[in-house]
Amino acid sequence: MDFAYNDDQELLRGVTRRFLEERHPMALTRTRLEAESTFDRGVWRDGAELGWTALVVPEQYGGGSVTDQPVVDLAAVAEEAGRALFPGPLLSTNVVADAVAAYGDEQQRQQFLGAIARGDCVATWCTTADGSAEADAIGVEAVPAPSGLKLDGVARFAHDAHEADLLLVSCQAPSGPTLVLMPLPAPGVSFRVLGGLDLTRRLCEVSFESVEAAGHQILGAVGAAGPAIDRAYRLATVLQSAEAVGAAERVFEITVQYAKDRRQFGRAIGSFQAIKHRLADLLIELEGARAASWYAALAVADDRFDRDEAVAVAGAAVRDAFAFIAGESVQIHGGIGFTWEHDAHLFMRRAKVEQLLFGDPDWHRERLCRLAEAKAPV
Amino acid sequence: MDVDIPEIPSRYDAYRQGLREFIVGNLPELAFKQRSGLRAPEDPEDVVKLRRWVRGLHDAGYGANRDDPFEARISIEELERTRIPYVLGNPLVAGAIVRFGTEQQRAAYLPAIASGEHIWTQLFSEPDAGSDLTSLRTRAVLDGGHYVVSGQKVWSTWAQFSDFGYLLARIGSGAGRDGITAFILDMKSEGVTTRPLREITGTTDFNEVFLDSVRIPVENMIGEPGAGWSVAQASLAHERGTLPGDKEQDPAGALVRAARHRRRGGRAAIEDGAVRQQIGRVAARSLMERYLGYRVQTRAANNQTAAWDAPLVKIWFSELNLEVADYALRLLGGRGALVEDEPLAHEDGRWQDTFLYARSWTIAGGSNEILRNVIGERALDLPREPRGDR
Ligand SMILES: Cc1cc2nc3c(=O)[nH]c(=O)nc-3n(C[C@H](O)[C@H](O)[C@H](O)COP(=O)(O)OP(=O)(O)OC[C@H]3O[C@@H](n4cnc5c(N)ncnc54)[C@H](O)[C@@H]3O)c2cc1C
Repeated sequence: MDFAYNDDQELLRGVTRRFLEERHPMALTRTRLEAESTFDRGVWRDGAELGWTALVVPEQYGGGSVTDQPVVDLAAVAEEAGRALFPGPLLSTNVVADAVAAYGDEQQRQQFLGAIARGDCVATWCTTADGSAEADAIGVEAVPAPSGLKLDGVARFAHDAHEADLLLVSCQAPSGPTLVLMPLPAPGVSFRVLGGLDLTRRLCEVSFESVEAAGHQILGAVGAAGPAIDRAYRLATVLQSAEAVGAAERVFEITVQYAKDRRQFGRAIGSFQAIKHRLADLLIELEGARAASWYAALAVADDRFDRDEAVAVAGAAVRDAFAFIAGESVQIHGGIGFTWEHDAHLFMRRAKVEQLLFGDPDWHRERLCRLAEAKAPV
Repeated sequence: MDVDIPEIPSRYDAYRQGLREFIVGNLPELAFKQRSGLRAPEDPEDVVKLRRWVRGLHDAGYGANRDDPFEARISIEELERTRIPYVLGNPLVAGAIVRFGTEQQRAAYLPAIASGEHIWTQLFSEPDAGSDLTSLRTRAVLDGGHYVVSGQKVWSTWAQFSDFGYLLARIGSGAGRDGITAFILDMKSEGVTTRPLREITGTTDFNEVFLDSVRIPVENMIGEPGAGWSVAQASLAHERGTLPGDKEQDPAGALVRAARHRRRGGRAAIEDGAVRQQIGRVAARSLMERYLGYRVQTRAANNQTAAWDAPLVKIWFSELNLEVADYALRLLGGRGALVEDEPLAHEDGRWQDTFLYARSWTIAGGSNEILRNVIGERALDLPREPRGDR
């Protein structure tokens, strides 16, 4: 039993934290809150050198992990990215890398994996039209064409798609769900940045108008991408949970400090039980969330027997915990927490948006209920 | 990262087999039903049978406190399945004696605790000293080779059947932690009166204990005079870290079964989205309790236990336990209103008993409010509560 990051993973975490504090401090994030893009290619490339986009890429394609559990390594990085409210598509790029590594043919791996690992290729995933994980919400249709497939439709809530070099597109083909790799720019593909609640991160609408996809762009077989999409959602949930834990931990620390510093009625507000007990509740939820997030990473990394259950627990609980912690942080800060200048709302906004993407917590609770039914004999 | 526990080697199969045979041959037939929690029988004859059972287990080499970790694991697994108690009373004093006791005390009491020969009760709480244990008023006055002790204790679980009490009393005229001293009290001493109390469950598990000029030999003091607070803290910390073994292993599954039987709006309740969401929530939180356990165990193994580990786990467990029992009753509909021995009751009313008893876990062993103070003050380093009296 060793349910913790090991020394190498802690080292990676520490290096990532220092890098982000230096290269992507909140002060920098703040200069871009209302900008068209929050993405910084220079920081991305240097982050890639620390391994951010190489961990799930096999060595022969230019990648490499820190331990024999690359998904856990990556979760450690994602926690730090979340802690800094880092805007970049760390999650999406890694989901695409993992999909190519697991389902790509030799040529696709050669073409994309090294570039992703080096930080030269920013990749993102176009999931559904409404940001949910529902199979019937895929909004891009793929019909057979002489060259391969022709794509029409729309995908929304794709991280930083307008900055990306490569899209992984979930499509609905007549024979079933299909994944298409789409290097950019591509004729017929257009982007619109969505006006979003999370000021630190840009989500896009991606429109496809008679877009040609050649046969060699199809990941796996046409109509047979169900398992690949499931795998992508699992990894997305693990990384989303890890980011949420990191962010929740940071906003919790800020809040505890404020409760010690701020005085009213001649006492620090943290001495009032209404605040003290609330903070205890936040710690309880934070630690529960951390345990769930770690366990999901472990279960995916090792393909454990309870992998799907572990992912659903993280999906059901971790982002709710983050949203609870971030919301209460604003409350505990009082008026200052209600200002644009204070960081609390940036965490609250991130938390709310994360709750809505890649399968919301209700969706994961429904999955857990189904798993419980399957285990309880009639 | 891993959560693996070493697999039990096959050379232990004989141990397990032997224990199973022992259980078949010796399992006592009791008048009392084993329910959730630290419960006591009504019938003294049951206590005689239970003592024989625990003693027998120990003497045959199958007790739950085997030194060999694999044997201990097997024993606990097999004994949990019997749903018959294998630890009687409250043995927490053992930790205090190990850490603070004299050589003689260790020899006189530890083996007898391990073998189940001695049953213990914990005599800390008083009518006016519960959460605020440092305001306890039971006095101990030195008189030659004895302390003479007078006062009243309350909520003393299993005291009605106990041989010894783990007692906190005050020497001198100090206040707060000053003078609090830990003693071993022979419950058969003159001046000890035990009066059973009936609980919200209808059963009798705890008692009032009156101490009227009880003479306790000086050598029955645990630790130094006035050091009782540290002695007690050590064992209370242990209490908060120990979870009941007989909790529902799969609460979501139990709720699924209840929801299949109940109809709502012309269909089984299990098809109702609100019910499914609640079952999903319970599944998540019960699994998170397990994952939290892995973290706490890992940290303990590395000597990195955090100040919040034990209180957090106790709050998590006790509040989920209450939520599950409460929801189970709601799911059962009219049958949720029925208790054991009523033929129409669901699973002989076990959920109703669990629902009532659930409040013991949120109150006893440090109420959840006090534990939130502990988290706030000791783990987060927030300013302490001001006292109203000193
Ligand atoms: C089933 C059961 C078994 C028990 N067994 C034993 C036993 O074997 N031996 C033994 O010594 N004791 C035992 N106890 C006693 C238990 O430890 C006390 O009940 C507990 O410590 C609370 O004390 P109290 O009952 O006096 O409540 P109080 O301390 O009066 O508390 C009443 C309420 O006020 C709240 N409260 C008190 N102080 C504060 C504060 N500072 N901040 C916020 N809220 C506060 C409490 O949380 C509670 O909700 C048992 C109790 C139960 C329920």
